[in-house]
Amino acid sequence: MHVYADPFWLPKQGNTEEEYEDACCPRKVTERASCSFRCAVADGATETSFSGLWAGLLVQAFGSGRLTSKRRQETLRSLQGRWLSQVSAHPLPWFAEEKARCGAFSSLLGLELGEASICGGGRWWRACAVGDSCLVQMRGDAILSSFPIRDSRAFNNRPLLLSSNPGRNKEATTMWTSRGGTWESEDAFYLMTDALACWFLTEAEKGQQPWRRLRDPQTGDGTFAELIAELRRNGRMRNDDVTLLRVTVD
Amino acid sequence: MPYSAEISRNQPSCFVFLIDRSGSMEDAFGAGDSARTKADGVADAINRLLQNLVIKCAKEDAIRDYYHVSVIGYGDKTGPAFVGSLAGRDMVPISEIGASPARIEERRKKVDDGAGGLVEQSVRFPIWFEPVASGGTPMCQAMGTAAGVLERWLSQYPDCFPPIVINITDGEATDGDPTSAADKLRSLSSSDGNVLLFNLHLSSHRGPSIDFPDNDAGLPDKYARLLFGMSSPLPSHIRSAAQQEGYAVSDGARGFVFNGGMESLIKFLDIGTRPSNLR
Repeated sequence: MHVYADPFWLPKQGNTEEEYEDACCPRKVTERASCSFRCAVADGATETSFSGLWAGLLVQAFGSGRLTSKRRQETLRSLQGRWLSQVSAHPLPWFAEEKARCGAFSSLLGLELGEASICGGGRWWRACAVGDSCLVQMRGDAILSSFPIRDSRAFNNRPLLLSSNPGRNKEATTMWTSRGGTWESEDAFYLMTDALACWFLTEAEKGQQPWRRLRDPQTGDGTFAELIAELRRNGRMRNDDVTLLRVTVD
Repeated sequence: MPYSAEISRNQPSCFVFLIDRSGSMEDAFGAGDSARTKADGVADAINRLLQNLVIKCAKEDAIRDYYHVSVIGYGDKTGPAFVGSLAGRDMVPISEIGASPARIEERRKKVDDGAGGLVEQSVRFPIWFEPVASGGTPMCQAMGTAAGVLERWLSQYPDCFPPIVINITDGEATDGDPTSAADKLRSLSSSDGNVLLFNLHLSSHRGPSIDFPDNDAGLPDKYARLLFGMSSPLPSHIRSAAQQEGYAVSDGARGFVFNGGMESLIKFLDIGTRPSNLR
């Protein structure tokens, strides 16, 4: 299996790069020949503090295979401890302390691809998600899967998210959803945070082909920024941090 | 579509709090401990609202200026009512408010222990506003002052999410019927909609709180009905945010609360993704 993963990201218009609170893993263009590959995107919630840090911890843990369903609770506890120790490393003003007490919140969307023909078996993928980051599997001009959201109307500003505060998380069975499938050579997987995913599904529902704008080989950093600026300008995309992880496989 | 402007540091919105400081605020506050006066209730309400607004705008160890805030007292005098280093200021960015409480008290609060129970915790309670009860209730004058402050604000931010005025009172104006002053205030607008006027009525009348009603049938007196009539209907996106937070608000709900708190309103304001499991 040969995987090519290409991340694109942009902060909310008006914010600095340091204020970007999504996260993705890998963070750089990655090309790999392997029998398995893991990648993830996460979207730290604007209304909570230190959520970029929390989103980063989540994608790194997924990327390193520590958030599999069997190890999930144990890993989450460890990540919650790391978040707290980093946040409380320095004294905070009263308002920052009060806000940090609520915890940070983030979505998480993780994708694992495998080819068991090298290691014995077929070509498979598995994804897990909490919140409203979205995976789309494309084959040519056909959408094969859209997970965990299939309908653009399901996006809102009040998703259920993973918290660094253990008391804010619900039962794992309520929060986590998973999906699996198979892939063929030249399939593309788009992992998107909510603003981009909402635009993508809205356009697809109108009979447009938004994937063409995302798979264009010209979609380098400059043109991705231009695309997002255009979509924000004409009101087709909500102003939010935007992350796309484009994964092609053969 | 009105009431959809993005609230950002480049395009902040604003709150104006009108605080009744008249002599009648020395009376006992009906819904709570009889030792507490309505003036105490008002001071707690405004300090809690400011605290919630500061925390909403806090990000890491700083505060983002999504809002500017004016606090206008009316009683003996009508004018800016902050105490401490903000005294005399009639419009202050929220970051300065967060950085400048007059003092911070320690209070005890029961909080969720994460395991289905409650645990008492010491919490900080910043004070920007002290209880005062003296003189008449010049509500019409207060609304006129607010209109002046907002006209200046709106000329600076003509496309902002419309300002929200929250009037906290026991309801008995002494300088005439405030209806036309309220109408004038609500007629001010940005390109995104008219100024929203909400009323928080703190009464000596005992009884449960009434939050965001859609009619005045259950209200106990003429003052409550008058304030309800002056209150703006909740815009649809605030209503739907309230519904998503679990509040039963109907289509005709108005920005009026009787003997309760208005901190919940802060949760309904949209500055970005708010997790549904954040309470």
